[in-house]
Amino acid sequence: MVQINFSLKEVNCKIVYYGPGLSGKTTNLEVVHQKAPGPSVGDLTSIATEGDRTLFFDFLPLNLGQVAGMKTKFQIYTVPGQVYYNSTRKLVLQGADGVVFVADSKRGKMDENIESLKNLGENLKEHGLDISNTPIVLQYNKRDLPDVYSIEEMEQALNSWNAPHFEAVARDGHGVFPTLKRVAGLVLETLNENHAPRRSPSVVAPKGSVTTDGGSTAATAVATRPTKALNTTATSSTGRSTTRVRTTASVVRTSAQAPTVRTGTRPTLITSPRRRKRQTGIWMGFIVASTVAATVLLHLAGIIQIWS
Amino acid sequence: MVTDSDHLRNQRIVFYSEDIERIDAILSEFLELSGSKCNLLIDKEGHMVTSCGDTDSIDEQSVAALVAGSYAATREMAKLLGEDEFSVLFHQGKRDSIQLSMVGDRTILATVFDDKTTVGMVRLYARTACEKMEEIFEDIARKPKRSGTLDAEFGSSAKGALDFFFTE
Repeated sequence: MVQINFSLKEVNCKIVYYGPGLSGKTTNLEVVHQKAPGPSVGDLTSIATEGDRTLFFDFLPLNLGQVAGMKTKFQIYTVPGQVYYNSTRKLVLQGADGVVFVADSKRGKMDENIESLKNLGENLKEHGLDISNTPIVLQYNKRDLPDVYSIEEMEQALNSWNAPHFEAVARDGHGVFPTLKRVAGLVLETLNENHAPRRSPSVVAPKGSVTTDGGSTAATAVATRPTKALNTTATSSTGRSTTRVRTTASVVRTSAQAPTVRTGTRPTLITSPRRRKRQTGIWMGFIVASTVAATVLLHLAGIIQIWS
Repeated sequence: MVTDSDHLRNQRIVFYSEDIERIDAILSEFLELSGSKCNLLIDKEGHMVTSCGDTDSIDEQSVAALVAGSYAATREMAKLLGEDEFSVLFHQGKRDSIQLSMVGDRTILATVFDDKTTVGMVRLYARTACEKMEEIFEDIARKPKRSGTLDAEFGSSAKGALDFFFTE
């Protein structure tokens, strides 16, 4: 679900890349990570097996920049495509605002595509969403292979509700950005419909009118890209032989960070055990000192009495 | 007629500055009392809500996504064991540790701390902080929904930003 945070002046949206195993979902994210303007993408985090198959999810934060005074960010996820990881797919799909279904165009893969699409519909339904009403874009990947289904065959088998579709060769970066642009547009369009005053203009062209390039013109507002970046490369391992968490590339610091909250005054509602202990010590010291002083005074009084 | 789908869509989380200020005050108090390094409040989808403390060395967005994923996976494990969910998770490291506490049913409080404090202290004060934040979330839920929360120019501005960003 889209999160609108007026305190941070941020809009956060979640896009999930779905599809059968080895259809190119992670490759799509890798291309976005490599080709998107440096400061606007964060770390690409992959929870993958030794064989580089996605185990839980890949995650890439993308900062679109300022949109009407709000920092607009996309959290892009992929799911593991293999059939037996359905429980993790369902978890990643939770709260998705838009979906890219990456289908494998290679002849012989249609059954896997259909099964995965059916699974997507079922999992969306479990989250209370209908596939025909969810912002979704189909990407027909691997179009460079020699033996592929025709676009008509792909459309007939997979796109019964006339969702926007794109041809792609994700490995070469072809079709990756138009797909992402289109789904991002659909997500922001839905957001605009639900949260902006009625007179606000549409974000994307009407559904089905643009299906090949995802392009649209007529930019009327100023969009600014983030300007500061911290370039780091980090690789970490969980230590388990089956799971590897990889993180690489540049981190957006200026746009990603929430303001640090620091307190100037001590809280008064609760007293901590340490402080309580300290206060008890002070009282004990006071009582002991008073007792000693009283004893000394009594002794002095006795001495004075003897003298007199 | 409002369908289930519409209902879920209308549940989009909107945080207003005045609410975040109240949450920040609680987090700051918790930070000082518990002696933790930083606190991140994250929603179940992995989006950051707010944070406090020393977050300079942390990639907040990635941590938020992984925390949400970790929590979701653990919840499924809990269900398999016949529990609704595990309300507190704890990951111990050599230097830093992290405790995750559920706040209401939508947000997770991630507390990063080192050996300057103890897990007992963090757990003790996290419980109080979570209860206070839950009250705020209940308060937010009771408020009437505001319409037209985004700027009227959002549509055209988004279109421009997408064209600008995806210029190849």
